[in-house]
Amino acid sequence: MAGKVLTETSLLPAVVLLLPILAGAIVFSATRLGRAFQQGLCVLTAALVTGVGTWMAYRTLQGVVLTTWSNELRVDALSALMVVIIGGIGLLASVYSVRYLAESTTEHPAARRMGTFYGLLMWFLGTMLWGCVTNNVIMLYVAIEATTLTSGLLVAFYWDRRALEAGYKYLMLLTIGITFALFGCVLLYAGAAATNKLAGASALLISDIRSVVQYLPSGTAAITIAFLVIGFGTKAGIAPFHPWLPDAHAEAPTPISVLLSGVMIKMALYALARTVSIFYPTWPQVTIFIVALGAFTMLLGIILALTQNDLKRLLAYSSVSQMGYVLVGIGLGTYLGCYGGLFHLLNHALYKSLLFMCVGAVIYATGARRITDLGGLRNQMPITSACFFLGALAIAGFPPLNGFWSKLTIYLALARAGLWWAAVIAILTSILTIAVMVRAGYRVFWGDRHLGSASVLSVREVPAGMWVPMVVLAVACGLLGIYPQLPYPLLDRAATVLATLGR
Amino acid sequence: MIPGAMHTSLIETLSLTLLITSVAAVEMRRLKFSAVAYLCQALLIVGLLLSFAPVNRALYWWAATALVTKVILTPWFLFRSIRGVDDRELKPVIGFGPSAIIAALLMLSFFRLTHGRVALLAPTELGQLGVFRTNLAVASTVFALGLYAVLTRRDAIKTVIGLCLLENGVHLSLVSLAPGLPETALFGMATEVVVTVFLLLYVIGGVRQAFGSTDTFRLRELRW
Repeated sequence: MAGKVLTETSLLPAVVLLLPILAGAIVFSATRLGRAFQQGLCVLTAALVTGVGTWMAYRTLQGVVLTTWSNELRVDALSALMVVIIGGIGLLASVYSVRYLAESTTEHPAARRMGTFYGLLMWFLGTMLWGCVTNNVIMLYVAIEATTLTSGLLVAFYWDRRALEAGYKYLMLLTIGITFALFGCVLLYAGAAATNKLAGASALLISDIRSVVQYLPSGTAAITIAFLVIGFGTKAGIAPFHPWLPDAHAEAPTPISVLLSGVMIKMALYALARTVSIFYPTWPQVTIFIVALGAFTMLLGIILALTQNDLKRLLAYSSVSQMGYVLVGIGLGTYLGCYGGLFHLLNHALYKSLLFMCVGAVIYATGARRITDLGGLRNQMPITSACFFLGALAIAGFPPLNGFWSKLTIYLALARAGLWWAAVIAILTSILTIAVMVRAGYRVFWGDRHLGSASVLSVREVPAGMWVPMVVLAVACGLLGIYPQLPYPLLDRAATVLATLGR
Repeated sequence: MIPGAMHTSLIETLSLTLLITSVAAVEMRRLKFSAVAYLCQALLIVGLLLSFAPVNRALYWWAATALVTKVILTPWFLFRSIRGVDDRELKPVIGFGPSAIIAALLMLSFFRLTHGRVALLAPTELGQLGVFRTNLAVASTVFALGLYAVLTRRDAIKTVIGLCLLENGVHLSLVSLAPGLPETALFGMATEVVVTVFLLLYVIGGVRQAFGSTDTFRLRELRW
C-alpha cells in the first residue's frame, strides 16, 4: 500500500505481551489453588490474547501502526498476523492440554509438576508474543532466547531418558545457534550506528535501521546476514541446522509439540524475515542464497520424514520440510513470494497443529506411537481419523484445501522470478509429502490391525475436550481452502511489509 | 575518547591474559580447574570493562552486571554441579595432546586474522583504533575457542563451559561494537546466559541420574 503510515501510540502491544507473563507468575505463585484454576487461567489468557490480537489486526487493516514506549514495541500488519496465530493456536493447545495431560500424568511422576507446566506454558506464549511485537533488534534476540529457556523444561517435561536427551540437545543447540544471531544483531546495530545517520538509541530500532542499511559496507553486510541466517535459521529448523527439531518436537508433551511446530519455529522465521529482508533492496543476490537454503530444507526434511516409523518424528521432519516452503516464499522478497510464504505460514500453523493433535489423540487412546504398532483405528476413532486425513490432504496440497493455494502461490512466485529449479524441487517435495502423509494415515487408520487383542476393545474416541480443538482446526483448513480470499486483507498488508523488492 | 599509553598497555595485558584463560578453560582436564579458569576469565572481563569504563560511563553498570552473573552465579552453578562426582573430563573426540596444540593454533591464527581484518567486523571508526582492535580480535578468538570446545567435547559439562566462552566472546565484542547499548539490553543478555547455564546444568543433572554419566555420546536414544 502506497498510503502514508499512521503511527498511533497504544498500550495494546504491551498488554498482549504482559498478560501471559502475569498469568504465568500467578500460576507459579498460587500453587494451592488447584489444577482447574491454573487451566482456566491459561485458557482465559490465551483467549484474551487472541481477542486483543484480532483487534490489533483490525486496526492495522485501517492503515495504523501501533507503537508503545517510544517505538520500542511496534505492531504492523505482519506482527498482528503473528500475534493472532500465536494466540489462536495457544488457545486451542491449552484447551487440548486439559484432558490430554489429565489422563496421561495421573500416575506419572510428572503429575506433581503440573503447576510448572502451565506457568511455563504461559511464559512461553508471552515470550513468543514479545518476539513478534518488539522493534528493538537486541530485544528480538533476548525474546527469542527467552522462548528457548521457557520451553526447555517443557520439552524435558516427562523427565525420562528420551525427554532428557531431547531437552539437553534442545537447550544446547538452540543457545549456540541463537548466540550467532546475537552477533548478527549486534553487528547490525553497530553498522547502523556507524552510519551516523540515526540518533542514539534509534539505531536499535528495526524500523529505523531499514532506512540506513544501504550505507553499510558490503563485507559487514555479508557477515551480518550469515550470522542472522545461522542464528534464526537454527531456531526455525532450517536445514542443516535442524537436528534438534525432531527430538524436541517428538519428545515434548503433545500440546507443547503443537506450539513448537505450529508456532515457535514460525516466530523464528518471522525474525529472520524481518531482519534479513531489509538487506534485499541493496543486495538482491542474497535472495538466491535464501531460496537455495529453503529448497534444500524442504527436500531434506521430506526425505527424512519418509524413513520415519514414529508418528511424531514423522510430523516433526515434515515441519522442517514445510518451513522450507515458507523460507522459499519469504526469501524471494517479491510481493507474490511473501504473500505465498505468509499464507503458507498461516496454513501450516493450522494443519500441523491439527496433525499433532490427532497423533496425540492416537497416543492418548492407544498408548502407541509407532506406525507399525497401529492399524485399523477408523472404527474406534472416527473423528480423529477424519481430522487426520483432512490435515494430511491439506499438508500434501490437495485442492481445494488451504495448503494447495499457498503452495500454488509459491510455485507461481518462483516461476515469475525465473527460479524454475526451485519450483521443480517444491513440486517434487509436494508429491513426496502426499506419499509420506497418506501412507502414514492409511496404515494407522485403515491398515491391518496390529494392536494386541486386549487393547483393541478398550480403544475409544478421545473426549470432547480434545476433539473440539481438532475439529475447529479442521474446519479452518477447509474454510481457508474454499475461501482463500478470507485472510487476503491482512496477508496483503503483511506481505507488503516484507516485500522489500516490490511487486 | 582515546585512552592514554599506560591505560592502553593495561587493557592489552588484560586482553591477552584473557586469551590464556580461555585456552585453559578449554584444555584443563579436571572440570574443577576448568571452572576455575572460567572464573578467572570472568574476573578479567570485569577488570577489562572497568578499565574501559572511564572512556564510556555505561560500562560501570555493565561491569556490575558481569560481576554478578559471570563471576558469582555462573561459576557457583558450575561448582555445584560437579561437586561430589568424579570431575575428570571424559576423553574428547580429539585427544588431549593434539587438542591443546589445535586450540593454541586456533587462538594464534584467529587472533591474527581478526586483528588484521577488523574492518569487516567493525564498521565503526572506533573499532579501528588500537585497543578496540585488540578487544575485537580477543572477543572473536574467545568465540572461536568456545565453539571449538562445544563441537569437540563429549562431556556435557565441558560443553556448557564452551557455551559460556562463546557468550563471553560476544559480550566482549560489545565494548567496541555497541558502546551506546542501553542498560536494559545488556541486562537482558546477561541474565539470559545465567538462566541458560542454570537450566542446562539442571537438565544435565537429570541426564546424569538417568544415564549414569554426563557423556553426550551415550545420548543415542533418539536417532534419525
